[in-house]
Amino acid sequence: MIGNSVKKKDHDAKISGQASYVDDIVMEGMLYGKMLRSTKARARIKNIVLPEISDDYFIIDKDDVTGENKIHVVLEDMPVFPEDTVEYIGDPILMVVGPDRKEIARILSEIVVDYEELEPVFDVRKSEISFFHHNYNKGDVDCAFEEADRIITETFETGQQEQAYLETNGLIAYPQDGRIVVRGSMQCPYYVIGAVSKALGEEREDIRIIQDVTGGAFGGKEDYPSILACQVAVAAKKAERPVKYVFDRREDMEFTSKRHPSVCTYKASVKDGKVTGLDIHVIYNAGAYTTLTDVVLQRGLIGACGVYNIGNLRVTGDGMKTNTVPNGAMRGFGAPQTFFAIEMMMNHIAKSLCTDPLTFKEKHLVKQGDETSTRGKFHFQVPLPEMIERADQLSDFRKKHALYKSQTGRFRKGIGISMVYHGCGFTGNGERDIIKSVAKLRKNSDDTVELLISITDMGQGAKTTFTKIAADTLGIPLDRVTFNNPDTDRVPDSGPTVASRSIMVVGELIKRASEKLKAQWKPGEEQVIEEHYVHPDFMIPFDIKTFRGDAYPTYSWAVNVIEVEVDTLTAVTKVLGAWGVYDVGTPLDLNIVHGQLQGGFLQSIGYASMEQIGYNEKGVVRNHSFSDYIIPTAMDVPNLVTDLVEVPYAAGPYGAKGAGELPNVAPAPAYIDALENALQNRIQHIPYTQEDIMTYLQEVENG
Amino acid sequence: MVKSYFAKSLEEALEIRGRESVIPYAGGTDLMIEADDQASYLFLNKVPELKEIKADAEYIRIGAASTYAEILQSQLIPQILKDAVIEIAAPAIRNLGTAGGNICNGSAKGDSVLIFFAADAKLRLVTSKGERILPIKDFYLGRKKLALQKDELLVEILLKKTGLDHYYYKKIGARNALAISRVSFAGLLDMKDGKIINCATAFGAVSDVVIRRPDIDEMLAGKTTDEAKTVKDAYLEAFDEAIVPIRGRVSAEYRKSVCMNLLRDFLESNGI
Repeated sequence: MIGNSVKKKDHDAKISGQASYVDDIVMEGMLYGKMLRSTKARARIKNIVLPEISDDYFIIDKDDVTGENKIHVVLEDMPVFPEDTVEYIGDPILMVVGPDRKEIARILSEIVVDYEELEPVFDVRKSEISFFHHNYNKGDVDCAFEEADRIITETFETGQQEQAYLETNGLIAYPQDGRIVVRGSMQCPYYVIGAVSKALGEEREDIRIIQDVTGGAFGGKEDYPSILACQVAVAAKKAERPVKYVFDRREDMEFTSKRHPSVCTYKASVKDGKVTGLDIHVIYNAGAYTTLTDVVLQRGLIGACGVYNIGNLRVTGDGMKTNTVPNGAMRGFGAPQTFFAIEMMMNHIAKSLCTDPLTFKEKHLVKQGDETSTRGKFHFQVPLPEMIERADQLSDFRKKHALYKSQTGRFRKGIGISMVYHGCGFTGNGERDIIKSVAKLRKNSDDTVELLISITDMGQGAKTTFTKIAADTLGIPLDRVTFNNPDTDRVPDSGPTVASRSIMVVGELIKRASEKLKAQWKPGEEQVIEEHYVHPDFMIPFDIKTFRGDAYPTYSWAVNVIEVEVDTLTAVTKVLGAWGVYDVGTPLDLNIVHGQLQGGFLQSIGYASMEQIGYNEKGVVRNHSFSDYIIPTAMDVPNLVTDLVEVPYAAGPYGAKGAGELPNVAPAPAYIDALENALQNRIQHIPYTQEDIMTYLQEVENG
Repeated sequence: MVKSYFAKSLEEALEIRGRESVIPYAGGTDLMIEADDQASYLFLNKVPELKEIKADAEYIRIGAASTYAEILQSQLIPQILKDAVIEIAAPAIRNLGTAGGNICNGSAKGDSVLIFFAADAKLRLVTSKGERILPIKDFYLGRKKLALQKDELLVEILLKKTGLDHYYYKKIGARNALAISRVSFAGLLDMKDGKIINCATAFGAVSDVVIRRPDIDEMLAGKTTDEAKTVKDAYLEAFDEAIVPIRGRVSAEYRKSVCMNLLRDFLESNGI
């Protein structure tokens, strides 16, 4: 059985402390970098006065950028170093580079920046700059509203979320044989190569990117390493020596990208007890620069009507500029925001109709063959009904939900449910038109096999699951297959390690390459097999301009139930039980899959209940350490159960679909539904904290 | 330049403390997060006199460098203190962190500090020339401000042996483990022959210093629970005025509500 768990490939190295992270690497003549960051949220830089520095120290700024002063992410609006304005507190004005970190700190402390302050915008509702606007329609919304029995409008807000990976961002850049090498902690080496070659004005062939062991990412190392790589590469080129930059925790929490906060307004038309139309406006707070906002927003918009078949849809969305740190990728990539909104919206509509929310939702569920929000098609089985039944069996949801409706007394219980999908892989035709993955297998003369792919293992288990696919298909032992950290000099571009695509897309290439190699196997000989991505022919082509077609080839599904108890004296919430039923296709390693599901589950409960970045009135991040930015621990959800329902995906290896992001989408609305069940209130924002609960309780008490 | 002194006896420690400008270092769990490479440190974790937990006729005497783990293991320690200590950080920190360090960190969020306030603990402060015994309430002059002299070391914490068994304790953190207190409350009610002989309450993490108001608690002394009910409103009102929470990452309003809710619950759970 492919799903049987094995010891992870990187287990021994990590457990024994042998694994070498970027911070462990020391190179001959290596210098350290540290940024001088803007202390103003929006300002024009009038003048900078620099102190005297000795010969082995360097000031790196916009004038040292040898290529274009632009960081290539999706657009190129973010400079490597700002030209003349700063757009958020933390915008890196320049970098001081040198051998001694104390001396660097001294130099930084003596630099005087003369700012002309401009009015910053922190409230996304007040922003007048829309970086991106998208809209799409299905059916006839206006007609649905005209014919409606009632129209219900609500606005939901979600907060910023920090990825909270254990290893902070860090890279080393160095010149080598006339080329520039960048190595360190990252998700997407080929993103980094593109950005660095543009900033340096060098051919891609003259850049080499190597991933080192990466201690977690959760999306936080999708865009950010491209930014930092440009900066350290410019520095290394000028200093002609290796330059290392490893963020400390505060710097990382304050100044690297996070999950986009959102404001989503939902207007629903209801007729004969069913939702006939949804008019949705989604605002994502992009922060100061665009980075990945366009794509994050797209995923949010596509998922805006959740797992429900709503005939008439109008969805508009804006990615707005504010003067905070730019927001980027985080596990779920735009989906948690709108799935929270639609799940709450459906609950609230049901409550206003005095019907049971779960029964109400069940009446609207999509099923195989239905149209998607973008007029694509759910081509495969939608296992939600059996997953809901399974979740109910595990948690006794239906009975408890009815039981908890009218409680008084100090401790009050509540139970909530939510159901979501996550589109597997890149949105639309991205895989076909942009990524065009290539994967290689190299068989050595000793008959060992090496995977040559640009997929990175950041703790999620890629090294293990990918080698399992090859070993199992080839029929050779797992220890005969190796998968080293990608180095762009050695591996082809198989795309980034994002979007729940790795196993489904690149894993399938490895599967096919393995089958081919097996058929051509020549003992004792070197062989190389190359495979290219093939777009599934069943897909209805997606048009990003009109948002029409299959946004994803297939979907992973989740149903979550959470049971809580609220102490009304202290407003402290205890999670009594948490159950997740998932369809990720065929699991390729049960330990790894359950690890992903449980971790994502917990992370989403944190998103719903306690994780708050918090800015003060000047735009300074308040919670920039693990003592202030609170994430839940295993102690907070001791009774966490994850369970699988398998609907294998024919175009994925062994039937596997995406698994990594899915568990981070569903739990937040289930948690809030549980709180509403306990408190009998209506909640429209997350995180909904202890303080929010107390405020509500006092409002009730004071009438 | 950093200098390190490793004292092997209290006498030696006091001699160094009297002679040099040093930061006393017991477990280091607070100091290590803001390491100062200009400072000199006096390591106290190997001084036997500071690590004893013993009892005499009147007091349980806790050596200031006793770790939380040692406190948890000791049979002399009252349960109320163990309840507070078990919620401090994680086992690794409890193996290092000390009761004296918790007090000398000067924070109103110290979890063991709250209990020492409620219990009206006394501190034995020693220099190479002599010693004094100070109620813990008088040791705290403000946030991070202590009545500790430059040549002085906190040597022992003195807890009364009686009156600590009937207690109410609640810590509110941001999560279930590894959390700094947002609000903490301890209440002691000592009854004899149907009368309250001592009521003591303390509120932690609310203000710059743990709030302990014996003058208000005194309202209940000498009363039966039924008699106490007659002054309950006045008592709660007095604390409502006395508790003025500071704004921090957690709002003052939240802190205030929790304090009053817990105080009321403390009374009600005792039939008042």
